[in-house]
Parts: sequence; structure tokens; C-alpha cells
Amino acid sequence: VSRWAPWLVALGVPLHAAHIVVSSLVWHVCPVEGIHFAMSVVSMLAALTYVIARSRFRIDVVGAFVAPLALTFLLASRFVGIAGAPKLRSAILPFHVASNLLGVALFTLAFASAVAYLVQERHLKRKDLHGVFERLPPLDALDRAEHRFLVAGFPLLTIGIVTGTLWAHEVEAGGASEIARAAFGYASWGLFGLVLLLRAAAGWRGRRAAYGTIAGFGFTVIVLVLYLVRDATTAAALATAVKP
Amino acid sequence: VILVVGLSHRTAPVDVRERLSAGAETLTTVLSRLAARPELSEVMFLSTCNRVEVIAMAPDDGVDAALRAIREELSSHGGLSGEAELSPYLYETRGDQAVLHVFRVAASLDSMVLGEPQILGQVKGAHDAAVAAGALKGKLGRCLTRAFAVAKRVRTETAIGAGNVSIASVAVDLAAHVFADLSDHAVLLLGAGEMAEAAARSLSRGAHALRICNRSFDRAAALAREMHASAVPWDGLESELVQADVVVASTGSQTPVVTRPMVKRVMKARRGRILLFVDIAVPRNVEPAVHDIDNVYVYNVDDLEHEVARGLQARHAERDAAEKIVSAEVAQFLAWSRGLDVQPTLVAMRAKARALLFAELERTLAGRLRHLPEGDRAALHQMLESVLNKWLHAPTTKLRARAADGDAGGELAETVRFLFDLPQMTAAREGERATNGDGGEGEEEDERLPH
Repeated sequence: VSRWAPWLVALGVPLHAAHIVVSSLVWHVCPVEGIHFAMSVVSMLAALTYVIARSRFRIDVVGAFVAPLALTFLLASRFVGIAGAPKLRSAILPFHVASNLLGVALFTLAFASAVAYLVQERHLKRKDLHGVFERLPPLDALDRAEHRFLVAGFPLLTIGIVTGTLWAHEVEAGGASEIARAAFGYASWGLFGLVLLLRAAAGWRGRRAAYGTIAGFGFTVIVLVLYLVRDATTAAALATAVKP
Repeated sequence: VILVVGLSHRTAPVDVRERLSAGAETLTTVLSRLAARPELSEVMFLSTCNRVEVIAMAPDDGVDAALRAIREELSSHGGLSGEAELSPYLYETRGDQAVLHVFRVAASLDSMVLGEPQILGQVKGAHDAAVAAGALKGKLGRCLTRAFAVAKRVRTETAIGAGNVSIASVAVDLAAHVFADLSDHAVLLLGAGEMAEAAARSLSRGAHALRICNRSFDRAAALAREMHASAVPWDGLESELVQADVVVASTGSQTPVVTRPMVKRVMKARRGRILLFVDIAVPRNVEPAVHDIDNVYVYNVDDLEHEVARGLQARHAERDAAEKIVSAEVAQFLAWSRGLDVQPTLVAMRAKARALLFAELERTLAGRLRHLPEGDRAALHQMLESVLNKWLHAPTTKLRARAADGDAGGELAETVRFLFDLPQMTAAREGERATNGDGGEGEEEDERLPH
């Protein structure tokens, strides 16, 4: 199974990409618009990055976390809410969405590496060198992979945050969920920044960096969930508005 | 018949074993002396730190003489006064049991550490030396090459070689699970005792650098020269800990050499880089509380030995499966080798029939059928060849099948020789001729033994 799994993921990526392209043509939806499509793209990107980074970082096992996450994102994009909510068009929007998507994909991988790191670290501290310990990659490889994914994802998230802020100014949206989304977005940006800063300045590696990464990723997920909920509620509002 | 005479860790103490063991030079001497004995048709000398064995081939009716010859050569090689001094430690097996023994030894089922991989290489070395000396050319040679294949099969089909069964290999495995690539990490050896040397040696094989830190600098320097490492002074321990990533500790100190406050300072200077301690000293060199520091891992002798015990246990669980493979292979080899015993009878039977048929044909062609053109003569030859093959097919296959099943004392072969009035020969000479002579038939036989 372990031999075939990465190849299955590798096979899934082009299929998924093809699906995204075809359905965007069919539905006339730009892939970078609307959270449902976006989530689908995130899961595809995460899987793609994993496939590329797999052999370089010796982190095969991260796929065990990435694959289910990608699937969750994909399913979320299918079943939560209805796609095709009205869009507020802006020149900034594609930048905002694209950089955030790539960023989230990279953070997904960083998160997966961090979880694997914590599992491995716990085994080593407990001196239990069997079971899952034997299958996970070496400790320092996981730590390094997590760091690199963060370093790659952080500038993208920064662009996403900046464009998001500019865009919010443009459209003057100010709902509660909008504010919450922005707050969690800033929080995840701050956390990831802190993780990177502390690692560089104070040598915060390993366990602490892993916890920071997981927390940062948690905030990112909250932002995504808020998007999903928004789309669902707007869709519902639209539906009730249309009925009479 | 195949014979094994030898002694091993099971039968002889180390001082007896080392007297009989042979290095590269003595091996050729003892091998040529053994090969020169007329009692032995093939011979091989296996010498490892745990066993010394002579594996030989002797005629069926000369087994006792062959055993005596081997014992004589062994005691003169060991510089012993007589056979009596050696005999309490020696074991002897012959025939089927000897084949089983050879297969089990090569498959590491008779090793001190079950499943250790070195033995196969050692048996191969002994085999190559015997082949080079021209002492291994027939059935025994085939038995050995078969033993290598069996050993490989056992290794791939069972987990007899899995797991770590030495402190050094556990330490290496542990380091490999912490550091992806040891080649950009340094190993520090604390103390220059023998204990840590083995672990440090195997760890440093892939490491970027090996440093040795000892209370006596001279001792460290001496060991460093030997291991292509660098020696560092004892006062520099703390700064060395900042540089190193894997520390193997084995000093004779009664109190911990590496303390928690020290490692706390070290970790600050390391900026959190992972530090692994392998503490094989008793009493321990590294304070247990060091293990609780973030990114620091301390494994002591008990932790490592726990893994060793676990590895051994896992190997012993595989023993039955391995023995099953070996005994199946022995049965197959014996069937093949018995098939070899009837080969001369088959060859003689065919030769006789052929000679008769073609003599008659030539006579007729020179007389009444003189007028036949060349093409017709060739057709007649072809016809007789075909008759010969068809006629002898059934007796050939039956005889072979019966032999493979263990035709008691070659009874059926004897009957065939009697019925066809073939020359009588001893079974031993048969075996020899079968493996040395008549190339074509022999090769055909070879194919029946799976490679």
C-alpha cells in the first residue's frame, strides 16, 4: 500500500486539475472566484505540492495527512452551501484568491509535517521505537519540511492579507462574519510570522514550532469555514428572496 | 557422501576455537593439505570466530577413513598432540544430516546471534577459496551454491534478519530516525572505552565528523588516529556538545559527566538543534533529567538493550518458518542428488543400446543395402535414433523418479544393470562420474534443480 499511495495521489492531481478546468468551462465560473471552487483548488494544490516535495524532503508519510485533508476540502467545496453566490468584482480579487489558495496549500503541508513531527517526538520521548515510529520520516526531516513550507507559504499569505485589506476598503463590507474572517486571517498571519521569527531569533524549533504551525493552520481553517458559511447563508438568502 | 566435521560456539570454548581457526594464509595451507588427502574427493574449510568446520565429500565405502583423515588434519593444524585432545569438542554429521547442517549454517540458523548476516559471506569466502584451490568441483560444490540460494530465500521470505540485535545497530537505527542524513552531522565519543567504540564506529561511518573526548587526552588521540577521528580536550566538553549532534557516552565516571544545567546552556547555544545522547556507560554518564529538555533525547544502556531483546525475540519467532524452508530445500537437493546417482546407469544403458543398433545398421548398409544413396542412409540413421529415444524414454524417467524418491540402495538401478548386462560400478564412483564426466547429460540434470 505504501508504495502505491503516493502514486495514487499523483494520479489524482491531474484528474482533479482537469475536473477544475472542465467544470469552470461548463459553468463559466472563474476558478479563482467563489469559495467552493477555491477549496477544490486548494486541495488540488496541496496534493500537487506534496507530490513535488515528497522525494526532496523525504516526507512520504505527510501524504497520509495531506490526502484526507485534500479530500475534506474537496467534499466541503461540494456539499456545504451552493456555489455561485454573487461576486463583487475587483481587479485585486484574483490576486487575493490566488495567493491565498497557494498559501493555504503550503500551510496544509506544513500542518501535516507538524503533526507527524509531534507524533514522532512523542515516541522518542517515551522511548517507544515501534509501530508508527518506524514508518514516519526522521525527526529533523519533518522539522525542516515544516519550516520550508511555512517559509514558502508566508509571503503568499502576506500578499493575501494585504490584498484582502485593500479589497475590503474598496467594497466597504462590514458584516460580523466579515470582521471575524479578517480577524482570524490576521491572527493566522501573525502566528505564522511569530513561528518563523522565533525560530530564526530564539531557536524555537521542533515541538514549539509544530504547535505554532498547527495553531496558525487552525485559524486558516476557521477563515475558510467562515467563507463557506457566508456563501451558504447568502445562497439561502437568495433562495428565500427568489421564492415569492 | 557429504561429511561435516567441526566445532562451534555450541561445542567448544573460545580458546579451542581460536587455535583451530585459520586466517587468509593458513587457510590455503590447510586447504591444500586437506585436498591432497586421497580419502576426500572434495573438501572445503570454513573458519569464522564461532566455528571451524571441514565440509567434505567421500566415497560411500570410505566414510570412516575420510573422517579419520579430517580429524588428523584438524589436530595437526591446531598444533594438538593427538585426536584425543580434540575429540570432545568435535561434532560429525554425514549424508542427509550434513546437507541439512550446511544449509542451516549458511542460513544463519546455527549462528550465535540468530539470523546474523555475516555468516553467509564467510561461507561464500570459504567456498571461493576451495574452488580456487580446485578442491570443490562436483556435488559438494553444488550443495554449497544451493546453500547460498537457500540462505537468500530464508532471508527474503522470513524476518529472521530483521530488527536490531546489537547495541551498535540499535544506536545507528535510532540516529537514523532522528537525523535524515548523518552526513551533515557530527558524532562525539565521550570516553575512549571499548564499549562505545563499536557504536561510535558504526555511527561515524555515515557521519560528517567524529570527535573523541576523553579525560586522558593521549588515549583519545591514540583512538582518534585509529578511527580517523579527531581528539578534543576534556575541558572543551561543553563546546563540543554544542557542535555534535549524536553523543555516545561511555566513560568510567561514577557521577554523571553531562548534567541538566550543562545541556540547558548547550541547547541555548545550539539554538534548539536536536541533540541525541546514546549513553552506554554504567553508571550512567548523562543525567536522566536531560531527557526532559526540549529537543534532547537520552537513550541509556537499558533502553538499547530492551530493543536488542525485542529484536532477538522477533527473530526467534521466525525460526520455525526458516527451518521449514531449509528442510524443504534439503529434501529437494537430496532428490536431485539421488537422481544424479543413477546417471551413469542411464548413460551406460543408452550407450549400449546405441552401439548395438548402429553396429547392426552399419553392417547392413555395408552389405545388402550398399546401393542406398546418402540421403536414404541419413534417414535410416535418423529413424534408429528416434527408435532409441522412444524406447528408452520410459525406463529413463522411471529410474530417475525412483531414485529421487530414494531408491533403497539403488536397487532398481542394480536391476537395470543386471538385465542389460551393464558394467558393475560402486555407487561412489557413479556419483563422481556423474558430476565430472558426460557433460551433456549432466547439464540436463542440472536444470532440474531450481537455481
